[in-house]
Amino acid sequence: MKKIIFLFIVIVSAVFMSCTKVVNIDLNSACPNIVVDAELNDQPGPYTINLTQTVNFSDNNVFPAVTGATVVISDNAGNSETLTETGNGNYVASHLLGVSGRTYNLFINSKGKVYTAASTMPAPVALDSIIADTSSKTRGGGFGGGGTTTPVVGVSVHAVFTDPAGVTNYYRLIEYVNRVPNYNNISIISDQGQDGSIISKNLGRRDTSIHKGDTISVVLESIDANVYEYYRTLAQITKQQTGIQTTVPGNPTTNLSNNALGFFSAYAARTKYTIAP
Amino acid sequence: MRKIILGALFFLINMGFNLQAQNKYTISGYIKDVKTGEQLIGASIVIKEIPATGVNTNAYGFYSITIPEGKYTVSAQYTGYQTKVDTIILNKSTRLDFAISDAATELNAVVVTDEKKDQNITATQMGVDKLDIKQIQAIPVFFGEKDVLKTLQLLPGVKSVGDGSSGFYVRGGNSSQNLILLDEATVYNASHLLGFFSVFNSDAIKDVTLYKGTQPAEFGGRLSSVLDIKMKDGNDQKLSVSGGIGLIASRLNIEAPLKKNKGSFIISARRTYADELLKLFSKNPMLKNAKLYFYDVNLKANYRLNDRNRIYLSGYLGKDVLGAGNFGLNYGNITGTLRLNHLFNDKFFSNTSLIFTNYDYKITASFGANSLDIISRIQDYSLKQDFQYFLNSKNKIKFGLQSIYHKLIPGSITTTSNSPLSKRGIPNKFAWENAIYLSHELRFNDKFSVEYGARLTSFTLLGPGTFYSYNANDVVTDSGKYTQTQSVKTYFNIQPRATFNYVLNPKSSIKGNYARNAQYLHLLQNTTSGNPTDLWIPSSNNVKPELCDQFSLGYFRNFLDNMFETSIETYYKSYQNQIDYINGAQLNLNANVESQLLYGKGRSYGAELFIKKKSGRLTGWVGYTLSRTERKINGINNDSWYPATQDITHYITAVGIMQLSKKWTASLAFVYYTGNAVTFPSGKYEVNGQVVFYYTQRNGYRMPAYNRLDVGFTYQAKKTEKFESSWNFSCYNAYGRENPYSITFQVNPNNPQQTQAVMTYLFRWVPSITYNFKF
Repeated sequence: MKKIIFLFIVIVSAVFMSCTKVVNIDLNSACPNIVVDAELNDQPGPYTINLTQTVNFSDNNVFPAVTGATVVISDNAGNSETLTETGNGNYVASHLLGVSGRTYNLFINSKGKVYTAASTMPAPVALDSIIADTSSKTRGGGFGGGGTTTPVVGVSVHAVFTDPAGVTNYYRLIEYVNRVPNYNNISIISDQGQDGSIISKNLGRRDTSIHKGDTISVVLESIDANVYEYYRTLAQITKQQTGIQTTVPGNPTTNLSNNALGFFSAYAARTKYTIAP
Repeated sequence: MRKIILGALFFLINMGFNLQAQNKYTISGYIKDVKTGEQLIGASIVIKEIPATGVNTNAYGFYSITIPEGKYTVSAQYTGYQTKVDTIILNKSTRLDFAISDAATELNAVVVTDEKKDQNITATQMGVDKLDIKQIQAIPVFFGEKDVLKTLQLLPGVKSVGDGSSGFYVRGGNSSQNLILLDEATVYNASHLLGFFSVFNSDAIKDVTLYKGTQPAEFGGRLSSVLDIKMKDGNDQKLSVSGGIGLIASRLNIEAPLKKNKGSFIISARRTYADELLKLFSKNPMLKNAKLYFYDVNLKANYRLNDRNRIYLSGYLGKDVLGAGNFGLNYGNITGTLRLNHLFNDKFFSNTSLIFTNYDYKITASFGANSLDIISRIQDYSLKQDFQYFLNSKNKIKFGLQSIYHKLIPGSITTTSNSPLSKRGIPNKFAWENAIYLSHELRFNDKFSVEYGARLTSFTLLGPGTFYSYNANDVVTDSGKYTQTQSVKTYFNIQPRATFNYVLNPKSSIKGNYARNAQYLHLLQNTTSGNPTDLWIPSSNNVKPELCDQFSLGYFRNFLDNMFETSIETYYKSYQNQIDYINGAQLNLNANVESQLLYGKGRSYGAELFIKKKSGRLTGWVGYTLSRTERKINGINNDSWYPATQDITHYITAVGIMQLSKKWTASLAFVYYTGNAVTFPSGKYEVNGQVVFYYTQRNGYRMPAYNRLDVGFTYQAKKTEKFESSWNFSCYNAYGRENPYSITFQVNPNNPQQTQAVMTYLFRWVPSITYNFKF
């Protein structure tokens, strides 16, 4: 719906001769803050978590690594591992194994500051199918299509799965092309209002970056409620970054303590592959 | 509490009575325009022999004054009209109607010297702006469309929401805290085309009054202000047609008697055709096929049944139609008011109104064979009963009641396919709002007057439905099921108010007031500028009524035989139960929208300076407002005070209208203000392969300051008894200032290693030509 409103703002602005230009805004420099990118799943490890820092808005997109931190992941079954630092802000757990139903605790001590988070790994949900097509259909009446027809280019990827009835589920769907994650084609889903139904989701339509013969894989991550809330608020905020205004810009809601940025997700993953036609 | 109020009232009324020693009689009647028969609102009756006893006509043109028997010279006066004088020997209660004539048409002159010039000094009310519809017509306008909401933004204490927007803030309140009434019906969304035009067609409007300070007790339901707009009744003397042809819109207005001197009607309509122009000039296929227009129709009829009863029926219908490709958005207001004026006797006036109002929007989207409709709506059914008792020349009492049934449909979804969305409609909400009020205006003598009163209100949220309770972390803690018409939660509020005026000398006065207001309906806004899809929600078990206490004090001084009016008004407002949002809040189509809200308090204070030149070849005003508006919300900025979005430190406006010759009038309008408080990122980071901006503080930054100069020229082409025509040439933003509409932050598309700020600005040099006619 916000997209629709934004579309009309664009049209109204165009009618009234709107323009854009790049401006210099004097933004304050913020104290560097820790950024935690931590995930583990029910597939065999090792699991790598990454610690970096924020930089000022005017700086280049080079984010300094956090070195010398103590990172520990433990679960409620009595397992615990202190992660090994391997450089570039990466910390690796090589013995730990992710098991559905367990709650994992993340502990980070960096320069005397302690950050913690907990995430419970839900039960996995399987994908029924994924479909990649370049159907020869032509489209008409789209944005300004106005009845004219344009041949379809690119590949559309479609994922279908069955939501288990009677439990609250949250999902994140992510597409990989030749094993490289495609961050443009991510979808987060709650079963609120559609518990127990067959859920089908388009991941990117007419994606021209996918070519014939590419390996497309789709991962269905079953995530916990806090992680869903993180991804949902992140999506709202990054929409802001592309110019679509939301309520109030802010940092996403995270399960990390002590104002750390980023998130910690223990998820169960199921994957399906296909080859782009 | 009520006993004390009643006791005080009794005492004060007695004081009024005790002063009388001889027989008293009442003069009452109506003041109207001789040419059109329009009842004049706020016209003055002045008794030459006892100058301190003047009264004004009410909203229906009625006045009543009770004075000792004797011989009197009674004059009827109204801004821009010739004064009419009548001599009467008062030895019984007398009906005295006046029909006065528009000075401009009679004398063909602009300078009117006969008006009651020191109204600003002597009137009890303060913080009230009354727009002169004639003056609006001379001010340069955006795209040639005269607009009352945009003209109001040129007054001190009233601030624009954004460039070209008809939305406004009053004294630190947000735009949803203004009660906007069109013939007593609430207008829930007063903007067309996403805010660039207001829904009020100035051809159909008779009177515009904005209460910034103490709202009279008959109004309630919003914290910040009341904008009371009254439609014309229609010409009851002869058929009259007027209209205008502009670059993007045209207007037509027809008025005629139903029966001469008995009743009349008015139909006023306008339609924009920007999209048609777009088709001609645009090469972009998306714009070529876009639908983008609005229309509105105002209708009113009135009929005098007899000397004591008059009936009015008025209605408004407006619609915006926006569409592009397979998306569409329609929205608009419908209002209807049926009123009966009844005179019990020559001192006791009554009005009964039945009011309906509806605002809705509909989003349609089609995907191949499937389509999706989202409809959202708010409807009010209301009964309002007002009594005015003109006890004597010193006392006037107003009392009445209002009952409103609210029906809110936050979002109902219909689809053609078995889409999962079809199961996600949001439950409807129902509420019942009631109020009784009493107010008493007392003139102790010609120096000191007071008006005080109270409004007692209640608000009940009704079933059916399941209602949840949330704790401070917005987690559901409790839920309850309610049946139809079962009360979920009821709130009561006593809202006292008082105003005084002390006239120091004929040139100056001091006024002060206090008022408490309560607001039971709250608007959740997606963006700072406001959208047609902003959501109204009722007070509930989680959302408490918003409350505001306002204190203000002002000094008023006129110079050079009232040629210059000046004033300084200061105010302090304290707010409770203000609403803000959690980070990344989802407001639309969310059944648990109350879990996205945060609550806290607010305060705003400021000073407004105003200098107005009322007569001469050059007229106009300069206004300056210095103010601050802050909020303290649990969960935002570490629970400390922070500037609200509408916190605008400096606001300067200047308007000048110069009569160049008999035919030509030139006008200028200038606006400067400090940028709104906004949230900008202070840093950035990378997570999951994506660059994300890092925010450290809500509303910690400012938009760049705004400034703009508009110029206009009006050429009176022809002016006779039978036909008038004029050309209006104007240029909005004459020096082409790039005022930011929004500033967004993004990864530099040319260098992914960098991020940049991008400013969008809308209007530079918007010229327009409009042809207006009347016959």
